[in-house]
Amino acid sequence: MAAIPYRSLMLAAITLLVLGVSAAGSARLMGQGESERYRQRRSQGERPDPMAEDPPRGREFYFTRAAYTGYGRRGFDSWAVDYPKADRQFLIGLRRLTNIEAYEMENPIYLDDPDLRRYPFLYMLEVGYMQLTTAEVIGLREYLLAGGFLFIDDFWGTWEWMNFESEMLRVLPDHRIVDLSLDHGLLSVFYEIDGLVQVPNVGQGVRGGPTWESDGYNPALRGILDDKGRLMVVINWNTDLGDAWEWAENPFYPLKFSNYAYQIGINTIVYAMSH
Amino acid sequence: MTFESVFEFFFKYRPVVFEKGRLAFAAPWSLTVVAVIGALVAAIAVITYARSRTEKRRDRIVLSTLRIAAMALLLFCLARPILLVPTVIPQRNFLGILVDDSRSMQIADQDGQQRGEFVRHAFGSPDSTLRAELAERFMLRFFSFSSTTQRIDSLAQLQGTGSETDVAQALDAARRELAAVPLSGLIVLTDGADNSESSLTETLISLKASSVPVYTVGLGKERFDRDIQLSRVETPRNVLQGSSLVVDLVIEQTGYRRQNVEVSVEDEGRIIATQQVRLPDDGEAATVRVPFKADETGPRRVRFYVEPQEGEQVTANNELEALIVVEDRSERILYFEGEPRFEVKFLRRAVEDDENLHLVTLQRTAENKFLRLGVEGAEELAGGFPRTRDELFAYRGLILGSVEASFFTHDQLQMIEEFVSQRGGGLLVLGSRRSLGRGGYQDTPLADVLPVVMPPTRSDAVEGFYAELQIESTRSGLTHPATQIAGDMESSAQRWTELPAVSAVNPIYSVKPGAVTLLTGSAAELDEPIVVLSYQRYGRGKAIAFPIQDSWLWQMHADMPLDDMTHETYWRQMLRWLVSYVPDPVSATASRDRVGQNQSVVITAEVQDETFLSVNNAEVTAEVIAPSGARADVPMEWAVDADGEYRVGFVPDEMGLHEIRVTASKNGEYLGEYSTFVESADLATEYFDAEMRVTLLQQIAEETGGRFYTPENVATLPEDVSFTESGTTVVEERDLWNMPIVFFVLLILVGVEWGYRRRRGLV
Repeated sequence: MAAIPYRSLMLAAITLLVLGVSAAGSARLMGQGESERYRQRRSQGERPDPMAEDPPRGREFYFTRAAYTGYGRRGFDSWAVDYPKADRQFLIGLRRLTNIEAYEMENPIYLDDPDLRRYPFLYMLEVGYMQLTTAEVIGLREYLLAGGFLFIDDFWGTWEWMNFESEMLRVLPDHRIVDLSLDHGLLSVFYEIDGLVQVPNVGQGVRGGPTWESDGYNPALRGILDDKGRLMVVINWNTDLGDAWEWAENPFYPLKFSNYAYQIGINTIVYAMSH
Repeated sequence: MTFESVFEFFFKYRPVVFEKGRLAFAAPWSLTVVAVIGALVAAIAVITYARSRTEKRRDRIVLSTLRIAAMALLLFCLARPILLVPTVIPQRNFLGILVDDSRSMQIADQDGQQRGEFVRHAFGSPDSTLRAELAERFMLRFFSFSSTTQRIDSLAQLQGTGSETDVAQALDAARRELAAVPLSGLIVLTDGADNSESSLTETLISLKASSVPVYTVGLGKERFDRDIQLSRVETPRNVLQGSSLVVDLVIEQTGYRRQNVEVSVEDEGRIIATQQVRLPDDGEAATVRVPFKADETGPRRVRFYVEPQEGEQVTANNELEALIVVEDRSERILYFEGEPRFEVKFLRRAVEDDENLHLVTLQRTAENKFLRLGVEGAEELAGGFPRTRDELFAYRGLILGSVEASFFTHDQLQMIEEFVSQRGGGLLVLGSRRSLGRGGYQDTPLADVLPVVMPPTRSDAVEGFYAELQIESTRSGLTHPATQIAGDMESSAQRWTELPAVSAVNPIYSVKPGAVTLLTGSAAELDEPIVVLSYQRYGRGKAIAFPIQDSWLWQMHADMPLDDMTHETYWRQMLRWLVSYVPDPVSATASRDRVGQNQSVVITAEVQDETFLSVNNAEVTAEVIAPSGARADVPMEWAVDADGEYRVGFVPDEMGLHEIRVTASKNGEYLGEYSTFVESADLATEYFDAEMRVTLLQQIAEETGGRFYTPENVATLPEDVSFTESGTTVVEERDLWNMPIVFFVLLILVGVEWGYRRRRGLV
């Protein structure tokens, strides 16, 4: 009776395990599973939020939220963090403080939806874990190059930055991310903003704990310019404006954070509508 | 055999003798005696026939009538009828012979010979038939004329190089020259292709008053067999660099009916556009619109031409030149937007690379909160929308976005009206929920300014109106420079229909009388298309309505390729159009942009202050800078009949481009300056409309008592001229009793009577 080659079996099992894990990992990293899932949803005519009403045509401004492929840290679709309360609540402030004729409700949209090009302003958050499909990359690239404006919010620390940066390199391979200085027109177009404020998430804000997450200790305001030096992407890193909008009515959430969040949000929109 | 020769055969003399002459009777006894004899003879005839029993009553009447007629004719002859014809006394009178010496006389359409050839043949030497016959009766004086008139001794002095034909001036000059001598008439040898600005009316009246008949001899063909002519081109005098132009070109032709030819546009030797044209029917004029772009700055000589075709009679009229001043300056336009709108972002982007357009944006971002973009200093628009005329009138164009009428004070609305009507600025109103009728502009001064008819009141139908429109260009829009968004007119019209739908919230269905609609938009839910782009002239300026709220979709929409430039092109052209022809406080125009040698040009300047109120009694000087660099200051006089208008005339003394720089000041205060240009050139105007003009020559002859001839019938001219009352004349008697017609009639009467008798058996 021949001896069972345990060593060989062990080796084969380990090899299979390693291959399987790495395949699953790479599939996940590449977003192929997500991509497939979205493709199926889309082919069935599903919208990012089946509950959201179709926005009426003809309004001047829609707070449009990008629905993209990516897992959030909290285990659900990252594009929908703070959704839709933050959107609606920010719109209340926007409509009261400016005379922008804004649609009152949320407006989520897929990045590869041709209708995206009807909305020249786009909000996108939790981009630290986004893994865009090729169609989304193309959709976002063409949106930006046609004149669209992208407002990035709520991602923290070095790891998330690296992921975001590498994804944006896929979208705009010829454009680099630059720091926006405090004298940039964005900070004075409506409100005069003297300095950047790190806006914490609601939990930390209400508790009065540290304002940072991961290793994102300092807030940053960065941007991507088009070939003519015009701002097309504004990046709010190491800060969570969406939570400040969402919880602005919470008496325990510090006013200075929501104040700042509204100010920079409004300034960004007024800037996007005029520059 | 002509009517004249038949007439002469029967009546012995040509019709002109009867025209000029007066009938008289030269019988040695009085007409009464002749009448009595006639009555007696008639009575005898009647009585004789009446007594005859053998004849019936009808026969008696016929025979006696025939007999009486024959008798009457004989009696007429016995009375010796004569024509009294005034005739010149040989060699006692003068005759002026005016010979056209302009270039059109070189055209070889006189049986293959030049028009001038006939003159040389008929008058060239003292032995030439016509000249010799005239010289027998008259003292001849020769003149050559084109733009001026000279006395010449010999036709060898004719050169055929005059650049203008001025018949009125020539007639006046010859009559003045011969005023002191007995003048029997003037003979004008010309093609009649008068291209001067002189009026003939007064000349003809004075010729008629002094009884000087003019005999015109028309040379050349009334219509060329084969010819193409560019008759007229209408171009703007001043345009901004890089502007699209569409010029109207009028083409006429004979002999090339419905053929296709190519019209080329050349800027100083460089072809900048070509266009295929289908020629019209013979004798008809077709207007062709040719689009091209003005890229090079400065005064440009733009040449339009059709290559000479095979067999063309005259090729010099296949081209036209125009002088267009292409300006490289930055036109300031104020865009006032009542709320943040994406239209602002995309409009600003569309024109930001256009160095000739400077868009200053004032945007109301919240109540009483304004964002200023593109301002030149901290002061500009610091107080919001301008409140004074000089602040607003500093701009050449004004765009009103989504801003309600109640935002403005009445004075501001009135000032916007005056911005268009008095300052001559361009006003563009965009569509939005706060503009036009929805903005409450119905009963404001702007209601008159705008080209569109707004719904009379606000209503739910108006307030809730929303339509996504597919755009289409109208017939006017097809050829308008502002709506050219593709290479040529047809592809532009096609491109409009392919653009993504844009939306309107202002239901505008009709425009004012006199307004022009360039674009319309239709949607399935609309019964009729609504107005998308319309304009009208208002006072000195223009007002444009573009009731669309999201033209940025022509840039952003997913159907638009990323490199598509339609949105940019449209807005650049639109804003260039908005500020086109907008006057400066001091401006000047020349009566003609191209003049021939020795032709004068009148410079007219309009002088206003910075609030565009006319200034009289200013010190205005025109500095004429000749091509050689020579400068001359010419003071301009205030034309008392018009406020702020100053005029002066001058004759360029060099060939080439002259700059006329007008400077105005009053009481030492500088008001402004402006340059206009005039080119003095060897113009080919003689070859335009160069066919022989019969109507003009007939009119001159008829109104003065002369006659019109062509080379075919000119042989009778010497005799015709003789029968004149002008000059020193005698009255000739010409017998009429021996006219052949008299004998023919007598024979016929007698013959008929004889035949009648034979037939009735009465012989």
